[in-house]
Amino acid sequence: MNDRRGSWYLLTGLVIGLALGLVYAWVISPVAYVDTDPSTLREDFKDVYRSQIAAAYAATGNLPRARLRLALLKDANPATALAAQAQAILAQGGPQDDARHLALLAADLGKASAKNTPTAVTPSLTLSVTSTLTSTPIFSPTPESTPTVSTATPQPTQMASPTETTVVMVAPTRTPVPTLSAPFILKERQQVCDPSLPEVLLQVQVTDAAGQPLPGVEIRVTWQGGEDFFFTGLKPELGVGYADFEMTEGNTYTAQLAAGSQIANDLTVPDCSQTGGANYWGGWLLVFSQ
Amino acid sequence: MHSRWIRFAIAIAAGIGLGLLVGWAIAPVKYVDTTPDSLRADYKADYVLMVAETYQADGNLGQAMQRLAFLDKQPPLQIAQQGLTYAIAVNYSAADVNLLNHLIQALQVATPTPKGGSQ
Repeated sequence: MNDRRGSWYLLTGLVIGLALGLVYAWVISPVAYVDTDPSTLREDFKDVYRSQIAAAYAATGNLPRARLRLALLKDANPATALAAQAQAILAQGGPQDDARHLALLAADLGKASAKNTPTAVTPSLTLSVTSTLTSTPIFSPTPESTPTVSTATPQPTQMASPTETTVVMVAPTRTPVPTLSAPFILKERQQVCDPSLPEVLLQVQVTDAAGQPLPGVEIRVTWQGGEDFFFTGLKPELGVGYADFEMTEGNTYTAQLAAGSQIANDLTVPDCSQTGGANYWGGWLLVFSQ
Repeated sequence: MHSRWIRFAIAIAAGIGLGLLVGWAIAPVKYVDTTPDSLRADYKADYVLMVAETYQADGNLGQAMQRLAFLDKQPPLQIAQQGLTYAIAVNYSAADVNLLNHLIQALQVATPTPKGGSQ
């Protein structure tokens, strides 16, 4: 009788053991998520965390610290993640300040890799936020003409528990926030005829009085029945003072900086001609300077 | 018969071992989609510091409380105090500790304390 049962009892024991292990792991002592790091947060929580990093950066101007904090999220490209989030906020009609903080940090992160000023460039991201023009007052951001000076002193700050690798914060470096108090003039306005551009773009560059590109500057564009807002610095790879907007053929646009500037009127999609005779839609380049 | 029971027990132990091997080595738990309340204390403290930095600049206490509420279900004041406790324990800079203190003082003013002083 025993011989006929063979060794099946071993398999039975194995299965029972496995079941016991799973019951212990799933029911008696299930996994408890504690002591996690920001990179494991759900995406929407990461967005909040990222926004807070940007807000703190806007408050202190401490770029090294912001870099360290962003590194915790383990984004493949922090600047791109910041810019994408800023665009998403704008697209969803979220808080403009949040978008501006994110754009500013994205731009400052990308400064090193965006020294060249683009004139006709291939965009990697396209912002498209459209709203119906109503009697809503024109949005105007709170100018950061009096940036808060960081109170941090140049001494290292630990940001990790003693049992973990200690991250040493470096002394704060104040990053200048764009000064929006001085008036901006429309320094340059030119048609861009470049058949290599995949979209019809209104390209905008904003510089300060010294000719340095300014990130985080809001641009307002209106047309018959609509308006849109976008920020410089959302495409740091194209320059921190750069922004663009996709134009639609048939519309006549007006563009100006939301904080106040000369107005660029009558911007329609230009009709450009190739050497072979074929026509294509061009774009515009506007340069605002303090 | 006796040896059969021994082998049966060994099989059970092997099954448990196999389960642990799968659970810990072959397919370990991956922490994804966690919530902010599960963050380690140092990350929480740094988040509180970020809120304090922002509050120092904009003075918007309501927004600071909202931002702290992201971290935990506890009252914002308690979250900030835990951040301060950690900051002091690991020797945050005096400037950072001051920022946290400043935020906590504002929260204490804004948070009504029950009569009798107990919290």
